[in-house]
Amino acid sequence: MSALLQVRSISKSFRGLRAVREASFEVPEGDINGLIGPNGAGKTTIFNVIAGVYAPDSGSIVFNGIEIQGLRPDQICAAGIGRTFQIVKPFAGLTVLDNVMVGAFLHTRAAADARRLAAEIVERLGLGPKRDLPASSLTLPDRKRLEVARALATRPKLLLLDEVMAGLRPTECDQMVEIFRDLNRKYGTTILLIEHVMRAVMALAKHIGVLHHGEVIARGTPEQVVRDAAVLECYLGEEAEV
Amino acid sequence: MSRRAISLAVVAALLIALPLFVGNYALSVATLILYFAYTGQAWNVMMGFAGQLSLGHALYVGVGAYAAGALFYHLGIGPWAGLWLAMALCVALGLSIGFLAFRFSISGVYFALLTIAFAEFTRIGFDHLNFTGGPGGMFLRVAQRDTWDLLNFRGPPLMYYYAVLALTAGAFALCAKLLKSKAGYYWQAIRENEEAARALGINSFRWKMLAVAISSAMTAISGVFFAFYYNNLFPEQIFNISRSIEIILGPVIGGVGTLFGPILGAAVLTLLSETITESLAAFGLDIPGVKQVFYGVVLLAVVMFLPHGIWPALAKRLKL
Repeated sequence: MSALLQVRSISKSFRGLRAVREASFEVPEGDINGLIGPNGAGKTTIFNVIAGVYAPDSGSIVFNGIEIQGLRPDQICAAGIGRTFQIVKPFAGLTVLDNVMVGAFLHTRAAADARRLAAEIVERLGLGPKRDLPASSLTLPDRKRLEVARALATRPKLLLLDEVMAGLRPTECDQMVEIFRDLNRKYGTTILLIEHVMRAVMALAKHIGVLHHGEVIARGTPEQVVRDAAVLECYLGEEAEV
Repeated sequence: MSRRAISLAVVAALLIALPLFVGNYALSVATLILYFAYTGQAWNVMMGFAGQLSLGHALYVGVGAYAAGALFYHLGIGPWAGLWLAMALCVALGLSIGFLAFRFSISGVYFALLTIAFAEFTRIGFDHLNFTGGPGGMFLRVAQRDTWDLLNFRGPPLMYYYAVLALTAGAFALCAKLLKSKAGYYWQAIRENEEAARALGINSFRWKMLAVAISSAMTAISGVFFAFYYNNLFPEQIFNISRSIEIILGPVIGGVGTLFGPILGAAVLTLLSETITESLAAFGLDIPGVKQVFYGVVLLAVVMFLPHGIWPALAKRLKL
């Protein structure tokens, strides 16, 4: 069976800068995979190409059997890919529940249905006691959870997480790891994590791709990747925080 | 019933019974308040709900007024038919502006400038349109002010009061329903953060266009009312940018994006400015522009002390 997400030799340049070069990888259905790399490696660019923020210069992306490269962000979401933002973007003036309801409206017109689904997801992510607070009053860890909750409310087949652990303390990070494990195990959500924080990726991901200067230089299990000479040289050797 | 519902019922009852207690002057002030409340509510759909700042809403008032007015003036066709022409023209105009702006990602201040530009083009266009009397204006026939001619919308001040009251109530109910619907949630999401909204599957272009269509159609009705209430239309007046500003002052002072804000803001502004003009007149003073200075002072005070408008603060205080 072919993978849920197949990224096939994607390239993307900004003016002269080649942010992503011929990057290829895939995410099988039901897996948690990670994409790591030092700052400026092209992680967020790849992420934004998948999410429809940028069209790739060349290459293709196949999701669930259809080509999705070049579609608009809302079309990508409707196709079944939910995303979070590295710099959180809550709807600050709305309550936590209303934030999540916006996502839930993707599959229904009825406010009652959207509210029911949103309430359930808000509970699942441990935001239940804060559901009626304005999103602007949340702390950073809660805002990150809200990002995830909102994306989940669109009932994605694939969840793209952009540095969702960044800025969290180790204990908060571990809580997030538990949440994603739970989502994957109980609801079968496929997850692609883009992370700087190695601790989380190592704990969660079944397979990891390593990006360096826009190229995928290694792919494998966390154990294989940690031992890969090229990876050690470019990345882990200097900046590892395992 | 909630405190909110009870208060709403009391206010509605008072407004319906108002003509029993007050004279013609007070009735004309009340009509003016409700006119601004209704028009402000229409503007609020675009800015308050969907976050798209229009500084050219006089465009829709003017086009709506001229469309229905010209049909009546030239062909004797009453406003009930003219209404549809007015709405169709305004929606077409609104969607053209929206298409230009949203298709080419013009937003914020630049969008606001575009709306001003369209209102100005149209003003100049109407100055040169002989069919509607050009700069000399168009005057609708006024006859039999004491009988209610609902078909042609000609009648005593009381009729206009109830008409604009019905409009305000209808707009309030519509907006309350919209705000709780999928459209309301999607608009607010776009207003708060468009990029995040799009990532949740929202086709922001389509939903912004819907907000513009509803807002311009509602404002077209303001125009029809204006034409048949005032009976004379001049491009220099009706399309003037100060008319557009007047429309948005109510909701800005009352509370942008709230349901009661436009109504409360219109009431506060109109009552206070009438009081000021009247009391100055009592001292034998007639200072031109005093109203505008007063608007400026109120706006300044609200922006400084109640940046979200009067209504949110008042609602909290009254536990509504």
